[in-house]
Amino acid sequence: MMNRVYRRLRHGIVTEKVAFKDEEFENLGLKLQTEISSLFGRSLAIRELDSGSDNAAEIELNNLNAPHYDIERFGISFVASPRHADVLIVTGAVTHNMEIAARKTYDAMPHPKFVVAVGDNACNGGIFQGTYAVNGGADRVLPVDLKIPGNPPSPIEIMKGLLHLMAAIRHKSTGA
Amino acid sequence: MEPFVEQNKIVSPATIDRYFKSGGNREIYLTASEDSFTAIISGLSAKDVTLISLFCVENFEQHKGFTLLYAFEMRGAGNVVILLRHLKGQTATSIARIFPLAVWFEREIRDGFGVDFPDALDKRRLFLHEVYPDDFHPLLKSFKNQPIATQQNIATEKEYKFKEMSGEGVYQIPVGPVHAGIIEPGHFRFSVIGETIFNLEIRMFYKHRGIEKLAEGKTPEQCVPIAEAISGDETVANATAFCMAVEKISETAVPARAWKLRMILLEMERIYSHMGDMAGMVLDTAFPTGASKFFILREEILRQNKTLTGSRFMKGIIRVGGLDRDIPEHTLKEFSNYLEQFSPRCREAIDMVYKVSSVVDRLETTGIIRKELVKPLNITGPAARAAGVPIDTRLDHPYGLYASVTVRTATGSDVMSRFNVKATEIKDSIELCLNLISGIESGEVSAPIQIKDGYALSLVESARGQNLHWVYIRNGIIDRYKVCTASFCNWQAIEHAVQGNIVPDFPLINKSLNLSYAGTDL
Repeated sequence: MMNRVYRRLRHGIVTEKVAFKDEEFENLGLKLQTEISSLFGRSLAIRELDSGSDNAAEIELNNLNAPHYDIERFGISFVASPRHADVLIVTGAVTHNMEIAARKTYDAMPHPKFVVAVGDNACNGGIFQGTYAVNGGADRVLPVDLKIPGNPPSPIEIMKGLLHLMAAIRHKSTGA
Repeated sequence: MEPFVEQNKIVSPATIDRYFKSGGNREIYLTASEDSFTAIISGLSAKDVTLISLFCVENFEQHKGFTLLYAFEMRGAGNVVILLRHLKGQTATSIARIFPLAVWFEREIRDGFGVDFPDALDKRRLFLHEVYPDDFHPLLKSFKNQPIATQQNIATEKEYKFKEMSGEGVYQIPVGPVHAGIIEPGHFRFSVIGETIFNLEIRMFYKHRGIEKLAEGKTPEQCVPIAEAISGDETVANATAFCMAVEKISETAVPARAWKLRMILLEMERIYSHMGDMAGMVLDTAFPTGASKFFILREEILRQNKTLTGSRFMKGIIRVGGLDRDIPEHTLKEFSNYLEQFSPRCREAIDMVYKVSSVVDRLETTGIIRKELVKPLNITGPAARAAGVPIDTRLDHPYGLYASVTVRTATGSDVMSRFNVKATEIKDSIELCLNLISGIESGEVSAPIQIKDGYALSLVESARGQNLHWVYIRNGIIDRYKVCTASFCNWQAIEHAVQGNIVPDFPLINKSLNLSYAGTDL
């Protein structure tokens, strides 16, 4: 143990300096962090539900955890169970085959809970609107608090959306 | 374009052979009479022939009623032979005893069209889950695509019956459709003894969005975004395959520059897709440091995609006849410079993985897909190549300007082999892109197209394997669009790959193939 401490003192921090830094994203992250601190006691837990997307939105959500974005440092984590989640992110037009699972996922979340639709199909059904296999947008099945359009929205657009969600929650809770 | 000389001839069991070998990378349609059908099928099973797709068309050309199309490929011979079986009524005999892959296809046809296979091995529904009403068959022409009422309270006796394994100490682990990570939905039913997987049954189609029906009645141009929506990370592969079929029907030659740009985008898709798979494999062995390197490189590629096409997933650039817009010379030049420095960093990330014994230990001998399964299950892509089978659509059925592609194989058939194959293919794709950019000519990127009626098959090698598209145009609009991506067949390989492995290795095996749920469920 002491060895490690000495080594650390001798060599300093050895991790590489990252070659990328996106000012816009950093600022968004910090703003979001401030909001999460005051509204959610420092951490926001998100559960992702794919109810019929084309999988591009999942890739972008996964990217939020990857080194370029690494949103955990702002207090946001993607959790494995709806029971641990504050926010449910829904991607894709809700298919009939996923409808039961979507409702069960939402029902398993503790209150207060919020639903965010990510991507055009989740917002309003997109190109699948009015067809036999889907319900339409996520709001046909669940109470949606915020919609983030895009095919798919980029990581930065998703972050902006989450900031809007914080504003909406603040507005609702203060009644202002 | 070369005419299909033997088109729609009635074929006998004795003469079918030569059609595979006549050469020219063509698709040959042959009619099988009901009397000789079984004999033809048994004859084919004795040869080195793979069933690559089986689908139904209603009111095909002059035939009123249902026609089943059986697509066969002989590995090593360029042609695809499509057997037409005109049905008199609503029933047909199953071929699943001879070609086991037909089980899913026949279930799919029954759901879509109501065609019954009385001797089928498995009569459960496939893409229409129990929420759909009985006697609902969305692909029938008599059904107009519109919202329908579904059943959301399922009685116990109507619930899907999984295959039950029993015996002392055997228990089941149900997983999904909603998984723990940020992944697509599907249900995995494990039968386990201790920690060892005894059997796995995969239930898919939770994401069934009705892609094939949605395409019907659209013009080919309107259909390109639908092809792109099949699977987000196969946007270019599927859009290209769809456009290729339409261009074949309409006898349109795509300009060389457009093809070269399409190929660059196709290879970019392969690079970022493989990159993600490798990151996933390494991450699932609990080595995030190694995975981060791949994640960083993949994000850079997604940003390059955005610079080249305006979309991180390269949506909206492929169109019928070529490309929607050109990519400027200086952008290509900068991209080429980027790739030069990308290559050694990619190598470094891969080497780092090989140096960590705890990762290599987990990857080796895990999730073996036996070589013998490749043909009967139509396993394609890196999964087949890692089992030592040298198949690649870019070589077997050349399209665009693909002429020389090195097929990378491995012999281990395990997760490590798939990692190796993907690692080498990234290197090859980078080289291919660099060569394409250095040799690209200026010129048009789109040819004017006069849509004609007809039907055509197209095959494209996506990152996951062979994607098959079949398009039938009537009066200028899509009458039938059949898609069978590589994932559809490769899912069945996972059921075999996991047997005898421990449950904690399942995510690793799954990642090593990283199949598309959306691309299977359609």
